Amino acid sequence: MLEGYRVLDLSGEPGFLAGKILGDMGADVIKIEPPGGHPDRRPPYLAGIEDPERSLLWLALNTSKRGITLNLGDERGRELFQRLVAGADVVLESEPAGALESLGVGPEALRRSRPELVYTAITPFGQTGPWARYRAHDLVAVALGGNALTTGHPDRPPVRCSMPAAYFHVGPEAALATALALWARVNTGEGQLVDVSLTETQLQTLLSAPAQFAFHGRPTRRSGDRLGGTREIWETRDGYVSFGLRGGPARVANLRATAQYMAECGMAPEWLERYDWESYNHNTLSEEEVARLEEAFATFFRTRTMRELYEEAVKRRIMLAPCNDAQELIEHPQLRAREFFVKLEYPEFDAVIEHPAFFGRSSQGDIRIRRRAPRIGEHNAEVYGELGVETGELQALAADGVI
Amino acid sequence: MAGSRGVLEGVKVLELGSGAAGPVATRYLVEQGAVVVRIESSRRPDFLRILWLTRDSPHGVDGSPMFILLNPDKLSVAIDMSRPEGVALARRLVLWADVVAENFAPGPMRKWGLDYENLRKLKPDLVMVSGCLFGQTGPHCRYPGFGGQGSAISGYNHLTGWPDRPSQGPSHTITDSLSPRYVALAIVGALLNRHRTGRGQYIDISQIETGVYSNSEMIVRYSANGEIVTRQGNRCERAAPHGIYPCRGEDRWIAIAVLSDAEWLALRRVMGEPGWARDARYESVEGRLAAEPQIDEALVRWTSAFDAHELMQMLQEAGVEAGAVQSYADLLADPQLAHRGHFQTLEHVHLGKLHFERPGYRLSRSPGAYHAPGPNLGEHTRKVLEELLGMDPQEIDTLAEAGVLA
Repeated sequence: MLEGYRVLDLSGEPGFLAGKILGDMGADVIKIEPPGGHPDRRPPYLAGIEDPERSLLWLALNTSKRGITLNLGDERGRELFQRLVAGADVVLESEPAGALESLGVGPEALRRSRPELVYTAITPFGQTGPWARYRAHDLVAVALGGNALTTGHPDRPPVRCSMPAAYFHVGPEAALATALALWARVNTGEGQLVDVSLTETQLQTLLSAPAQFAFHGRPTRRSGDRLGGTREIWETRDGYVSFGLRGGPARVANLRATAQYMAECGMAPEWLERYDWESYNHNTLSEEEVARLEEAFATFFRTRTMRELYEEAVKRRIMLAPCNDAQELIEHPQLRAREFFVKLEYPEFDAVIEHPAFFGRSSQGDIRIRRRAPRIGEHNAEVYGELGVETGELQALAADGVI
Repeated sequence: MAGSRGVLEGVKVLELGSGAAGPVATRYLVEQGAVVVRIESSRRPDFLRILWLTRDSPHGVDGSPMFILLNPDKLSVAIDMSRPEGVALARRLVLWADVVAENFAPGPMRKWGLDYENLRKLKPDLVMVSGCLFGQTGPHCRYPGFGGQGSAISGYNHLTGWPDRPSQGPSHTITDSLSPRYVALAIVGALLNRHRTGRGQYIDISQIETGVYSNSEMIVRYSANGEIVTRQGNRCERAAPHGIYPCRGEDRWIAIAVLSDAEWLALRRVMGEPGWARDARYESVEGRLAAEPQIDEALVRWTSAFDAHELMQMLQEAGVEAGAVQSYADLLADPQLAHRGHFQTLEHVHLGKLHFERPGYRLSRSPGAYHAPGPNLGEHTRKVLEELLGMDPQEIDTLAEAGVLA
């Protein structure tokens, strides 16, 4: 899809995914790290051996990129960077607002020398504004962006996802904005600054709830394993499933099917077998009625495993979903059938690791991992060679700590 | 011109489907000037139009705030797709469009002959994206579900919450907000590709797969090390303190993330160097991680006296990463979001002023904007058929009288 576009990816963890996405779509993404490796080559490490080359975050989110080292704090490093920019379409970075400008390689400076350049900057709050100099990684972004307050239990503090979900939102959004700027360039010939705010991208997760609140004045509250008036998360023999007692035309058929399933297992109380689902409305149920229904369903779910329940749910078209962990996902029959995982080889560690292979199946095979994540400086000779830097000069630059 | 109308001006999108994930994807496109025509049906309205509908709802299917907010600038065409004339009309709209975007569960598009295999014969360079829950193929592709099921299946419930309590869904689900970005991106990527090669393509996106792909690190950690990442409240393996602490007022909180030893010293200074904090063991992250419960307890006592936003400002100015846990009301008053013009106010014919949300990016030369709130059902039927398809008014009348435009 993006063959022919070259991206210089200077980013840290908040931008890794955006660069990976562009690379998995076919762009020539060159990951630029400081000599010695990027500080976000963070733990955990492959086989627990502390070594930046073994950072699993790095291996997961820097696929489809070539990798070079470059010291932007050095004058000759910046010169080399300018030469790289002359042949690039996109710069992607996640430094604090103004940091690269102060080195003379920020958006203003680079777009002066190369007006076609699309410069995508991911910052906590955007390039300007009252909070532009404030800092935010995952936890603080999720708090400020509105998702935390309504996630968790009423008797505990708000809570985040234990993987950095804030970056999962900003990654594809920064990639989308970059693609939009490339489309603009097709028509105008000009690049532009793409100013991405990590915290602002978090609001999307609320699906317009703040504006709905402004309209009707009813805030959402943390409701633990319940949603509205009814239970949403249920215990099974070996884990949890998500299942709603909510009604409505789209859902009643699945409630009836669940009751039927229970009856076939001999676990539906008599009253449930005769239940009037047609006129069911979860909003008008009495507390006693909710308790009676929940007791019946909970008793049944506790006798079954997540997998048993899910297999029946698929067969019977019941909206019951297991709360899967990584192992259940990697073994998932649907994902396996779609060849969603690809094995990448890491011969230097004698390891083969499975990765999610694509975010969508293109009829032309355009979205796929092109290569494994690069080792530190793996493509220095190749990329700087393309610039016309001779081997001898490269050795001198390495000796001086420029690359 | 660049800057005024958006970069996708002239791009024509035909949308079918319902709910949040599909419409949010095309909302990114209208914000940048694409024309998006939505085929709707009054026989089976988008469930967001009827989610909270009661007999007393004064504006019926045209009064749902969530639908209106997620569908600005869309042109709504009402077509009864159970009629052959309706399907024929949809095919004419495909000929008009550059892009078809749909998020039905697999089935209806094929039934109508509007699947990619058929449409590419009609229009070889078509770009088409499907974005249902589990993808178009595989043994579970017809599994029914919404975002709640998507969050659970893609692993986010397991990852969210407290280790001593059941799994939690992240609020408002997550696949409904993750997948639309990938759908919009696939559309723009395929348009760029078509511009270069002249070829269209079809992209089959599974909302669940976008959730797992985004969390590739979790899969890689399992595949490489056999590690199953599990919910751990607000803790972080590499930083302490790292949590959400109470502030003054009801349900008011602040998130504090001390990511380096220097930040710990800065936090100490803001707290006025209290005795408990001057423990030398706390000067390294290992020491702070080992004493996290004690540090958290002391922090709770300290933060509780402060207003969340005032404390955030004090800490940020001192170099400590902190953020108020913002409510919807806070977001509507957030000075940084206001600076970026995040909420754009538009007047709706029934509901009055509504705040439409912009994406998280700004393009310096193409600021983007919405022009109209989400449409009434079938509001643009006649306009689209006349102006975009160039149909004869009498032909439209005939279809309307036959009940096809409903």
